[in-house]
Amino acid sequence: MRRKPADVVRQLVALSRRSTLAIFRQPALVGPSLIFPLFFAALGSSSFSRAISLPGFPKVDSYLQFTLAGTVTQGVLFGSVTGAAALATDIQDGFFDRLLAAPTSRTSILFGRLAGSSLFGGMQALIFLLALLPFGVTVQAGLLGYVSIVVAGFVTAFAVGALMSVVALKTGSAEAVQGTFPVLFILLFLSSAFFPRETMSGAYRRIADFNPISYMVEGQRSLSIDGVSLIAMTQTLVIPVGIAVLTTMLALRQLSVRLAAR
Amino acid sequence: MSTSRSVGILATRSIRNIRRLPSAFFPALAMPIFNMVVFAGTFFAVTKIPGFPTDRSINWYMPLGIMMGSAFAGVGLGFTAIRDIETGFYDRLRMTPTSRLSLVLGPLTGTLVRVVMMTTIVIVIGIALGARFTGGVLGILCLYAAALGLSTIGAGWGLGLAFIFKDMRGAAIMQLSIFLVMFLSSAQVPLNVMDGWLHTVARINPATNILRLARVGLVNESNADHLSFNAVWGGIVAIVVMGGLSLGFALRQLRKLSN
Amino acid sequence: MNSAPIIAEQLARHFGDVKAVDGIDLTVNQGEIFGFLGPNGAGKSTAVRMLTTLLRPTSGTARVAGFDVVKQADEVRRNIGVALQDAAIDPLMTGNELLELQAVLYGIASNKMKERASELLERVGLTAAADRRVSTYSGGMRRRLDLALSLIHQPAVLFLDEPTTGLDPMSRLTLWEEVRRLNREGTTVMLTTQYLEEADQLADRIAIIDHGKIVREGKPSDLKRTVGDPTLLINVSREHSDAASGVLARFGEMRPTAEGTLGVGLRGGAERVAEVVRALDEANIVVEHLELNQPSLDDVFAEATGYRLEGADNAPQAR
Repeated sequence: MRRKPADVVRQLVALSRRSTLAIFRQPALVGPSLIFPLFFAALGSSSFSRAISLPGFPKVDSYLQFTLAGTVTQGVLFGSVTGAAALATDIQDGFFDRLLAAPTSRTSILFGRLAGSSLFGGMQALIFLLALLPFGVTVQAGLLGYVSIVVAGFVTAFAVGALMSVVALKTGSAEAVQGTFPVLFILLFLSSAFFPRETMSGAYRRIADFNPISYMVEGQRSLSIDGVSLIAMTQTLVIPVGIAVLTTMLALRQLSVRLAAR
Repeated sequence: MSTSRSVGILATRSIRNIRRLPSAFFPALAMPIFNMVVFAGTFFAVTKIPGFPTDRSINWYMPLGIMMGSAFAGVGLGFTAIRDIETGFYDRLRMTPTSRLSLVLGPLTGTLVRVVMMTTIVIVIGIALGARFTGGVLGILCLYAAALGLSTIGAGWGLGLAFIFKDMRGAAIMQLSIFLVMFLSSAQVPLNVMDGWLHTVARINPATNILRLARVGLVNESNADHLSFNAVWGGIVAIVVMGGLSLGFALRQLRKLSN
Repeated sequence: MNSAPIIAEQLARHFGDVKAVDGIDLTVNQGEIFGFLGPNGAGKSTAVRMLTTLLRPTSGTARVAGFDVVKQADEVRRNIGVALQDAAIDPLMTGNELLELQAVLYGIASNKMKERASELLERVGLTAAADRRVSTYSGGMRRRLDLALSLIHQPAVLFLDEPTTGLDPMSRLTLWEEVRRLNREGTTVMLTTQYLEEADQLADRIAIIDHGKIVREGKPSDLKRTVGDPTLLINVSREHSDAASGVLARFGEMRPTAEGTLGVGLRGGAERVAEVVRALDEANIVVEHLELNQPSLDDVFAEATGYRLEGADNAPQAR
């Protein structure tokens, strides 16, 4: 079956539009992933204001400045579950099978489904950056830094969404997707999102050393505290892109498994 | 006499369900362990802040894990009540001539047994991960007392909300309120280390007093809170007052169920 | 003072503006099986919830087993047994455990508990299943366990709320037999049901509630007699429907029926059937089906409420 590229684009746009609207029409679903990270940031700024002078902390003016990258990542990770849960609901409701029965391109179905939560991820990053601005939290890397962090939010949401889609495609159950939420939570806590790896010890430190989320957060953190550097840009952008490529491949494979089973 | 038998049989039902519905008990156990481990690991260095009451982060965060677990075990009773209301089982209980008090105290007793089990398991794991009681048996008792007290407060609050809402909307409010009250306290760091708005809020939050009680046997011996009456009485007052209020709230809402 | 086991006087319950029960008077006599009928939403369960102390009346009073349902709720609870509509049973518990729970909550002495429980299990035929979790029970078994639970304290008055809804015919007959036996042993029974046949079979007297008010009350046989004329039902093709109604209306009052069927209370009874057929024939109406029914509780119900309970799929919904 050959498709004209123009058709694929039109389908992609239509499906993206649907998934984006679906997210913004459910404030009860997306609200918490905006509010909780800000709540934890506020909590941390009061609790750990004296921790920033501990050995192992970078030179920062406030804990908020330090935790900016963690807050963005936390929000994006949690927000991206929503989009995948919607995919599972689509599968449950049979909407997905109807799409598959139509001559729609397979990849545009997946990418269209993930477009909403990816856009939301980018938006979340922007919202957190702006929300912390009045508290003197800025990104030293300037416009390039802001844009990179927003792009990272977009790509991270896409990567996590694709990973969750694997679960959704495999189980077809929105509950199973929500059930993987604690896994993200654990991954986030076993990283340097809230405190520097340099302050940790023993096995915990080693786990954080292995956790890609540590490096992603540290890249954004370096952009915000130190300014532009090749390493920081690489960590901020290449890690999420790498994960996204991997999880997209997994998701496409799971999609063809599902198609074969029909 | 008949009330104590009623309490006993209702408690038995709750305890039996640990075995029959392990999927409900497992998270109640995993959550405090997870809390303890990740907080102690992530904020490992926090004890190096001048004035921090202990130099082992797990000594600080093990009681937090247990307190979070206790609070959620308490409101969990509200979840069970909602389920019983939705299935109609609660109507059956209400139609019996047993005292309304035993309808509250029975399941509460079951919850307290669960909390003792959870606390014991978390303590054992905590010690394996490096927690050390500086206050001996007395300190351990204070931790158990705080756990039982906090879960009683949570139970009254959860039951009352369950009787008001009668469906899962109540559960969302239970979880959110407990979450907020627990974190807007000395959960992460002690009052003397906080700055700004949180200090103001945490100082008047009764959960701070209960956490202080929980930690009197785990802070350094040189710390002023170490097994001191000053650190204990606030927690006990908070438990008695808040526990009384919340159980009263539950009983009142239970009676109002027939309105 | 009246000593009947259930007496309601001007009993009412409002939910906001909705008058779920709108001032009903009701007396159930000692040793009776009383059938309480009504469509869904008519106020049936609200009335039963008030009589069983689960819900406080907005106004009016009710005495059950000689006690006021509000002021002496505990005394009422001690003397009534209630088997609920959706058999609210904790699926994680076994039959024995539930009986034990119920026995303790009713304050039955521990030494009598075991004996009473095994007697009841035997009675409802669940002895073999007593130690299995309720989640493994069939619908009929649950109802029977529910009945056993409601009997643990040997209540003088038994409330059965839709006891056979959703049961297969065999289980239904078994349950009916048990209810009759209990009644013979002296238990007063108040039975709510949507099945008119059930009420006809079991009840000494019935009441019909509609829109929160009692619209009929009496012995089934007396009530049937008040309807008087038998019902003639005919089916005709759709295009003849209006013409046929016109013809039928000449022979008596039209009665509500399931959709697609026409019914008339035939004045003069069976001997006029031939006349009706002739009249329809003259009007060139082809009759597909015709039957003559003696008055049933269904007719009583239809006449009282304006629609039929059975074949309720086609009947207008009550609220």
